[in-house]
Amino acid sequence: MSEIQAIFIQEARDQIAELETGLMKMEKGDRDPETVNAIFRAAHTIKGGSGVVELSAIEAFTHTLENTLDRVRNGELGLDAPLIALLLTCCDHLANLLDATEQGGSGEQAEIRSAGDDLGRQLMARLDANDAGADKAERITSVVEAAGASEREACDAGAIADDTWHISVRFGRDVLRNGMDPIAFLRYLLTLGEIAHITTVFDAMPDAQEMEPESCYLGFEIRFRSHADKAAIERVFEFVRSDCELHILPPHSKLAEFLCLIAELPEDDMRVGEILVKSGALTQDELESALHRQEGSKPAAPAGVESAAVAPKLGAILVEQRAVQSEIVEAAVVKQAQSSEKRAAEARLIRVQADKLDQLIDLVGELVIAGASAGLLAQKSGETALVETTSVLSRLVENIRDAALQLRMVQIGETFNRFNRVIRDVAKELNKEIELVITGGETDLDKSVVEKIGDPLMHLVRNAIGHGIEPADVRVAAGKPAKGCVTLNAFHDSRSIVIEVSDDGGGLKRERILAKAVEKGLLPAGATLSEQEIINLIFEAGFSTVNQVSNLSGRGVGMDVVRRNVQALRGNVEVHTDPGRGSRFTIRLPLTLAIIDGFLVGVERASFVIPLDMVVECLELPADAADRHYLNLRGEVLPFVRLRELFEVAGEYPRRENVVVIRSGAHQAGVVVDQLLGEFQTVIKPLSGLFRNLRGIGGSTILGTGEVALILDVQALTQLAARRETESRSVSASAPAAFR
Amino acid sequence: MKTIFLVDDSATILLSISNVLARAGFAVEKASNAAEALNKFKAGVKVDLLITDLNMPGMNGIEFIREVRKLPARKFMPILFLTTESQQSMRMEAKAAGASGWLVKPATADELINTIKLVIR
Repeated sequence: MSEIQAIFIQEARDQIAELETGLMKMEKGDRDPETVNAIFRAAHTIKGGSGVVELSAIEAFTHTLENTLDRVRNGELGLDAPLIALLLTCCDHLANLLDATEQGGSGEQAEIRSAGDDLGRQLMARLDANDAGADKAERITSVVEAAGASEREACDAGAIADDTWHISVRFGRDVLRNGMDPIAFLRYLLTLGEIAHITTVFDAMPDAQEMEPESCYLGFEIRFRSHADKAAIERVFEFVRSDCELHILPPHSKLAEFLCLIAELPEDDMRVGEILVKSGALTQDELESALHRQEGSKPAAPAGVESAAVAPKLGAILVEQRAVQSEIVEAAVVKQAQSSEKRAAEARLIRVQADKLDQLIDLVGELVIAGASAGLLAQKSGETALVETTSVLSRLVENIRDAALQLRMVQIGETFNRFNRVIRDVAKELNKEIELVITGGETDLDKSVVEKIGDPLMHLVRNAIGHGIEPADVRVAAGKPAKGCVTLNAFHDSRSIVIEVSDDGGGLKRERILAKAVEKGLLPAGATLSEQEIINLIFEAGFSTVNQVSNLSGRGVGMDVVRRNVQALRGNVEVHTDPGRGSRFTIRLPLTLAIIDGFLVGVERASFVIPLDMVVECLELPADAADRHYLNLRGEVLPFVRLRELFEVAGEYPRRENVVVIRSGAHQAGVVVDQLLGEFQTVIKPLSGLFRNLRGIGGSTILGTGEVALILDVQALTQLAARRETESRSVSASAPAAFR
Repeated sequence: MKTIFLVDDSATILLSISNVLARAGFAVEKASNAAEALNKFKAGVKVDLLITDLNMPGMNGIEFIREVRKLPARKFMPILFLTTESQQSMRMEAKAAGASGWLVKPATADELINTIKLVIR
């Protein structure tokens, strides 16, 4: 696939999203002309682009779509619910075509094509049903044609011997002001044939003091030798056709046609006659006899001549009237387009290839490492001036890092808006009435995170619709409004982004979850769990409370997949539920996956990095807690793990050990280390597949000294600490020794 | 070398036309909307021919042409607009706003260059 096709496909996807958004707004009763216009423009842009990149299947399909939308825009076609549904299906079809193209097909696969043909027929059916207007247009055309015919009939006396075309042109006053040079037309004409003779007519030129230098007063009488047809010659003057006077007479025209010409040109009849003779189009004799005949047959001929002169004008007026009408419509639409400032803001965006950004971030990462290394050396040298300079440098590097990361940030709103369509479709399917409320759509997060969070979100939303929101009668019986509500919310919270999916449905039922867990063998019968622990069972692999796999949520993945996906992004997911009032799923994610502020700690000679935003505080390990796996932190139990034990670092225990208190979600835990080395900007380098199954380590980084430090996976550590603490408390006080 | 200024909100069109123009030996300036283009004009960019789309978000092409014509230095600059077969009525309006002519899209590279040669040498 070529670069330009890739660009087109991306652009078309955006336009389809615009189309869908607009259509759904209109489904809700929005009749703002700007909405209609935006929909039309989206289809128009897709069509234009597909023509350019030669994807004919898409072009043909969008053409019909655009025609339909044009009718809607002009108010000729009412946009009712069935039509909106049809148009939405068309959006889906377009998306399919794009997918097929992207996968290397041409959108010509039989299945897709027949679906497209079917949709095309349905659209055409809607257009035909509404086609009273088209008849009228045809009648106008036939009137114009009839006028042309009478022109031809009026002029049939004596052919002229000359074998050249005769072109008379008088330019409009605005030709120069419109950026056209009259000579350009002659130059273009020469590409079609040969100019046998040319006379420049400047009779229209007024006196010097009245003449405007910016206006064009020129005209040409041209004898032109060419094999081109009349349409081709006419096309030369296409751009000035509307504001110039143009007559083209084919070779061997009838004398009477020249008469018509003479009558129509603005200059005096005799003067035009002279020019024609001089240019060789007519002989003096021909001219004289013609003028004489015209003079002589005045009472009889005028009917013919006049009808020839008047008829085309009538046609032109008719055409013009038609043009004016649509012009008014167009102008009105245009005005509204300006009122929408948001669109202008959108247009200020620059498209950049994602891998270029990745490259930049990579470089910034190297810069951060190099900066840290320079800082370290400066510290070592002890030269104050050098230390100062490097600290300024490192602050700038920090700014660059933030700015570079900001480039990758996109608003989550676009992802959220996709769910409008999901809610609409699924709610229809289930016969439920559901409203989607979106807040915090302007919240930024890393593009790579956005891409990966779509699927888990989709699952949560589908769950909310399928399992969360009750059927309308149940809702009404419970005293709730019949229309359910699903809310998507996003906000920033201390260097992470929080995404919430909540519904006002029945909430999670603890008894059913518990029973199911026992039935599935996830839990021994009779186990006692806290409320939150019961709720969290839904995230266990192999858990699903609905017996039959519905088309909605049961796409083969359960909540455990949601949790795994979120954890893969170094995030976590929690659920709060209020029986009878609904549930809320909270996903917490780091803002970016590339660089973090870390907290560097040391055990013997090894270094480890803890993500700084997970660090709550640091304290010295109290002597009385040294042989346990928990300590008393201001009256709370704080379980901890020793990195020395966990990673089996050899060596003596130091006299003093430190505890870093870390927090992941609602859980806190301690990490016991030898030294606290301070804050450190950390460029995350992913670990190779070899380390994939290692628990407790999330990645690696390179220190300023060139040494490698491992980045701790705080979530796994807190879980580990919590588990050990529970075990040690439930077994016996002497148990901790077993872990040494 | 003649410079052609291309204004279109569609990246597809911008890229494809500028490729054709570049191959034909023109220098190409680009802008993706009217406001950006006007700023470039006001900054004094050298342009021998302006090609603009009519359907653009924000300021539309017709209004844009009107604004360009108001700039004293661009009074006689050729302006072509991009249009389709189905937009006949808009042509009149764009012409009235001061456009020199139009390019019907989609067009072959030859058609494109021929039309451009009609308005600049």
